[in-house]
Amino acid sequence: MSQSKRLTVADIQQMSSASAKRFRAKKWARYFAAYAVMTAIAIVFMIPLLWMFSTSLKSRSEIFAWPPSWIPEQPIWSNYAEAFNKYPLGRFMVNSFVLVLGNTMGELVAVPIIAYGFARLNFPFKRVLFVLMLSTMMIPGQIKLIPLYSIYNQLKLTNTYVPLILPSFFGNPFFIFLMVQYIRTIPRDLDEAARIDGAGTWTILYRIVLPLCKPVLAVMIVFTFLWVWNDFLQPLIYLSDFYTYPISVGLAFFQGRYSVEWNMFMAATLVSILPVLVLYFFAQRHLIGGIASLGLKG
Amino acid sequence: MKLFLRISVFALLILLPTLNVVAQEPVTIEWWTVASEEFDEAVQRALVDQFNAEHTDIQVNMTLLPSDGYDERMQTTLGAGQGAPDVALFWNTNWYPQALDLTALIEADPDIDPEMYLPGFWNTRVVFNDQIIGLPLGVGANFVMYNKDMFDAAGVAYPEPDWTPEDYIAKVAELANPDARIWGGDRPRGPYRAIWYNMGARLYSDDSTTTEGYLNSAESVAAYQWLWDLVATNGTPTPADLEVLGTEGTGPVDLFLADRLAMATLNQGHMQNAIAANKRFGIVPEPQVPGNTRHVNAWSLTVSVWKGTEHPEEAYEWLSYWAGPVGQQFLMENGNLIPSIPSVLENWEAADTDYGQAFLSVLELEQVAAWDNKHPCKGTVLRAVSDAWDLVMLGEIERDAIQAMLDGLVPAADAALEECVGRLGG
Amino acid sequence: MVIARWRTASPNARREAVEGYVSLIPWMIGFLAFTIIPIGVSIYVSLTQWTGMEPPRWIGFNNYVRMFTNDPLFWQALKVTLGFVALSLPLKLVLGLGLALLLNLKIPGMNFFRTVFYIPAVISGVAVSLMWMWLLQPDTGVVNTMLYFAGIEGPQWFWDPDWALPSVALMSIWKVGGSAIIYLAGLQNIPAHLYEAAEIDGAGAWARFWRITLPLLTPTLFFQLIIEMIDSFKVFTEAFVITHGGPLKATYFYLLYFYEEAFQNFNLGYASALALVLTVIILLTTIFVNYTSKRWVYYESE
Repeated sequence: MSQSKRLTVADIQQMSSASAKRFRAKKWARYFAAYAVMTAIAIVFMIPLLWMFSTSLKSRSEIFAWPPSWIPEQPIWSNYAEAFNKYPLGRFMVNSFVLVLGNTMGELVAVPIIAYGFARLNFPFKRVLFVLMLSTMMIPGQIKLIPLYSIYNQLKLTNTYVPLILPSFFGNPFFIFLMVQYIRTIPRDLDEAARIDGAGTWTILYRIVLPLCKPVLAVMIVFTFLWVWNDFLQPLIYLSDFYTYPISVGLAFFQGRYSVEWNMFMAATLVSILPVLVLYFFAQRHLIGGIASLGLKG
Repeated sequence: MKLFLRISVFALLILLPTLNVVAQEPVTIEWWTVASEEFDEAVQRALVDQFNAEHTDIQVNMTLLPSDGYDERMQTTLGAGQGAPDVALFWNTNWYPQALDLTALIEADPDIDPEMYLPGFWNTRVVFNDQIIGLPLGVGANFVMYNKDMFDAAGVAYPEPDWTPEDYIAKVAELANPDARIWGGDRPRGPYRAIWYNMGARLYSDDSTTTEGYLNSAESVAAYQWLWDLVATNGTPTPADLEVLGTEGTGPVDLFLADRLAMATLNQGHMQNAIAANKRFGIVPEPQVPGNTRHVNAWSLTVSVWKGTEHPEEAYEWLSYWAGPVGQQFLMENGNLIPSIPSVLENWEAADTDYGQAFLSVLELEQVAAWDNKHPCKGTVLRAVSDAWDLVMLGEIERDAIQAMLDGLVPAADAALEECVGRLGG
Repeated sequence: MVIARWRTASPNARREAVEGYVSLIPWMIGFLAFTIIPIGVSIYVSLTQWTGMEPPRWIGFNNYVRMFTNDPLFWQALKVTLGFVALSLPLKLVLGLGLALLLNLKIPGMNFFRTVFYIPAVISGVAVSLMWMWLLQPDTGVVNTMLYFAGIEGPQWFWDPDWALPSVALMSIWKVGGSAIIYLAGLQNIPAHLYEAAEIDGAGAWARFWRITLPLLTPTLFFQLIIEMIDSFKVFTEAFVITHGGPLKATYFYLLYFYEEAFQNFNLGYASALALVLTVIILLTTIFVNYTSKRWVYYESE
């Protein structure tokens, strides 16, 4: 009995290696289950996309043949080249990119300041102002179209990118709300400690809070990219010069007055989403991290 | 001092002409248009370049918009009362109040004469409140296009121009092969269009006071029953097919081109698609009950000058060039426009073909727009009675119950009509 | 009262309030210049009859009176929209969270899966709608073909009055990868030591989810609830492109009615009134949710 109580170093090593083995086996079983589930869902999610891809390689008559085929008889890769020859899609994408940069800059400047104010600072009428800010999200955007157009036209800013970028410098309520919620989950101890060290409000925002908000900043960049890339109505209303159109407007040119060239339309659409996906692929590692990893270190 | 004055006057006299030149900088005209099967971007740019080269005092600036979205842009700028283009497509009758009255300008123009345009299109497209508010660019119309290969394969006789709605159903039944997803003909895209009118049905009274005796008239009931019979043949694509396989909103041209739909109500843009795809096809007007007036759903693109323009004369100069003989000739030769000017239309390359002849004869029929333009509340009332259409299309109503259903919809239709007339008049 | 409190406030509290207002300056400018004016114009327009082409005609509250007393389409649109919110909102919230939990697993190759699930959120507009029309085509669509092999006769989807609304909901669920990202960001804010402590206490995965993940995620859930609700109320494109509000007005969404009035019937006065009423409905719902949030949302910092 007493013998067994006294564990040797070797015993401990042996035991831990056995449990580690069991642990590793369990871990791999869990991995496998996770991969199986994820792959199944991924396939379901990809079906529509595969169909788009298949359509982009078909001839116009094959798209409408029955029974429908998944694999084109003879893939017509030139649909892609032809789509690019028909309209300056590359130019349109560069324009979109400029708009994305402008908007991202605006959001990154404005949103943290406003969100920090709502989340951390106390001042009269805060709750009312917050609801007021949220309420601007609830108004159907189309209702503001005519008055806004009048304002920008009187400022002689139509046919420029200003109406498409300027609003981002006033902070998007969606992002403000998102960031407010995020900051509210960050313990105040960190702020207090910094304040005792003599840091001012803005120093705390930029030195303490913002670095912890990396995941939410990544979400902001990803969503700004996505929304600006896909926004059709605003550029349509404000821009007049063909060569300043963004890709969202450019894609609409594939819909004719009487019929749509589906194969080219699908080809152009697929190419147009690539930049968004590439950005996301690289941005996502910033989505992971934040205070969770900080907790690990602590 | 005197010398100074003389020199000044002399200098002024010399400078004046140059000042004048400076003042005569070319006027810029903003022009909005879309690209379409009839005139793509390159053709229109070539036309405007030609105009700009010929006119040193006017420079036209072209803005090409996607057709999907053109309405929103026009509505926004016209509603804002600023930023609208000097010259544009005013294809929506609701925009006419914002179009400049061109009557005097046209009278003073030796090159443009109302008589030179096809009368049907002139009357329905550019005359508003007894003013001429634009010029009609090109012509468009719906007609039944039939696939000759499919008719030959099934051994069915081609439709004749004087065919009836019953003939249509009979041919659909003969041509269809539902198991192979091959359809005899398509379904109309809505009630109270050409074929409804051909059966003598109207949505409401000419004086816009009631739908009683119109929506539920014997003719309307017969039209809905005809649709019911057509659905019952199982020879037409279902609404799902039409929306999925046809490019919905414009007609199932792709289904037609894929040899899966033997007859379809299409338009001249689709005709270009069929020519490009080397299809053997023919054209007939929509079927009609003998004795009634035969109708056609036809249109022309109205091009107008915006009321708020600062340069009405220069704007008209471009407008009359674009939609006058010069421009229409150019767009016909370099694009696919079918002109609305008979003297230009004579040179249409397809004028001597069978389908070309058939198309031209369709243009002479009574236009659905003649009634519709005078009754702007049609859309509002149709929305109030859309259930009738849905129920028949879904096959969820007995044939004998159609009369009772339409009777039941009269109060809602009357309410919608009254509200709309109170708002718009007419 | 506010002034009295201000007088008695400490210098620190006063400084904080000033800083608070300073932080709101960017938003205030945007709000005053680009929101207040358009809203004011909309309120005025809603009290008129206006085609957009001729000067507006003042008619007082007639638009609102008609909406509530004599407009079956208004009630139909409201009913359909509320039904859609009730159907899609819980699904989107639950599935988005589930997906985010999966994507938060620290296993190799996760970058790939995260990107795949995000793709549907990226494509927008007509292409998506067309794609879904193909997939849900009753006879030949992929979905019904698969159901057929499973021995189930698939529904008519968009073309059946009973199935049209669920079909639109299905489309919006497909895009759930977008909201999963926001959950994912929220999950990063849960300190890992809490999980470690719970594991030592012998809490299973299920218990850890209910006791740690969910409570600490309530701020994100609250955000998602409000955002997705606003989004669901504003559902439009699917109906506009695919169903046109049918069949039998089963998908006649509120914004579709608004759009028809504004851009097809040129009834801008009535359209403005419709838009403002929708805003008030969403606002009241939000205030209600916000009110209940005190009971169930947990903030680490408060």
